[in-house]
Amino acid sequence: MAAEDAHPSDREILMAADGELPARRAARLRAHLAACGACRARMAELDTGIREFMEFHRASLDSRLPSASGPRALLKARLAEVSTARGAGVRLSHALVMAAGVVILAMAATVSMRNSFTWPAVPRANLTPGAALAEDRAAVCSVGPGQPAVPARLRQQVFARYGLPLTRADAYEVDYLITPELGGSPDVRNLWPEPYANIVWNAHVKDALEDRLRDLVCSGALDLYTAQRDLATDWIAAYKRYFHTNKPISR
Amino acid sequence: MAAPPDSAPIEIALPARGESVCASGSDPEPEVLALFDQWRAPLLRYALSLGLRVPEGEDIVQEVFLALFRHLRLGRSRRNLRGWVFRVAHNLALKRREEARRERAAELTAEPAHPGPGPEEQLAHTERHARLDAVLRALPEQDRYCLYLRAEGLRYREIAAALGMSLGSVSISLARSFERMRRAAGG
Repeated sequence: MAAEDAHPSDREILMAADGELPARRAARLRAHLAACGACRARMAELDTGIREFMEFHRASLDSRLPSASGPRALLKARLAEVSTARGAGVRLSHALVMAAGVVILAMAATVSMRNSFTWPAVPRANLTPGAALAEDRAAVCSVGPGQPAVPARLRQQVFARYGLPLTRADAYEVDYLITPELGGSPDVRNLWPEPYANIVWNAHVKDALEDRLRDLVCSGALDLYTAQRDLATDWIAAYKRYFHTNKPISR
Repeated sequence: MAAPPDSAPIEIALPARGESVCASGSDPEPEVLALFDQWRAPLLRYALSLGLRVPEGEDIVQEVFLALFRHLRLGRSRRNLRGWVFRVAHNLALKRREEARRERAAELTAEPAHPGPGPEEQLAHTERHARLDAVLRALPEQDRYCLYLRAEGLRYREIAAALGMSLGSVSISLARSFERMRRAAGG
């Protein structure tokens, strides 16, 4: 008689409740439950426990979820960006892919604070999220400082991505977001047109930060990933942090 | 399926230079957006369960779907896709949590466990919920992950893939957790 079979374990009852028990064992369990009031009670108790936990889980979290429309639009834009980069990609470290998302949020939060600039001193995150070759510290530090010139072909691509006419090329320096001195790659996703018109947070200031970061990385005081991420997310914030100042130090 | 080791690095599929993409030639974007509509909330809730803040969770979700897009574009395996997606999310979330811990060490000295309710849910936060919360906090981390994933509707094989566990370990973990909840409820 089924009721006289060994009682099922909690695990078996749970698997049955979750529909995870193989068909034959499920049939045997159902037969047992039909004849065993104690196990039916255990199953009901477990069902209640699962339901309560699910309610608790949702109650704790659902009200914190923002609308999906903004993130969906952002994803759509980024997918389009990835699609257009097809075939020209480099292998990015996942850290830098993460950094791209951080940049977008950081940009949204900081755009209003940068109204005094003629042009944002940090690049548009969806166009220039930053890209680095998977180099380690030894590889980066074994090469002397100095970064290669940006090839004309890449410069043209950067201008096209930012919708800038080449006739205005003289007004901008096409700069690496993550400097090659710290593993940044010669990739269009790692380049942006930096206007010379920025007189405060300009390329010279960024150079100083890059020098500082390279020194820290090569002395072992900072890991390469952190340096790359700091450049990719918000180099101005990084400058303030590393130099303990709110404005550029004149050199 | 063979469960990958828990410490396996996150694999985000990006085409290497010259690597061919999208064997089928189809554009995975519509599918990725459809899956975003379906899985964004569970993924974000899971990231929050692990102690991340909403903007951090949103970041992770974006990265997960970008990774999924690349994965599909490269024509890689679609087997147990939801398990794969949660695995990427899990690994990214733990990494981000570790970074956040370092960044705001003072704020995150305590294990985040399950986040508490906002003011609007305080009324609904019954004594029973307080007991559940206490049980959750006392659970081993891996058991909590299993529970959170189960709460997001994942099947056991998906949980196993997400956490790099065997199927048997998932059911043992869940049974152990629900038993602790039952005992806590019974006083």
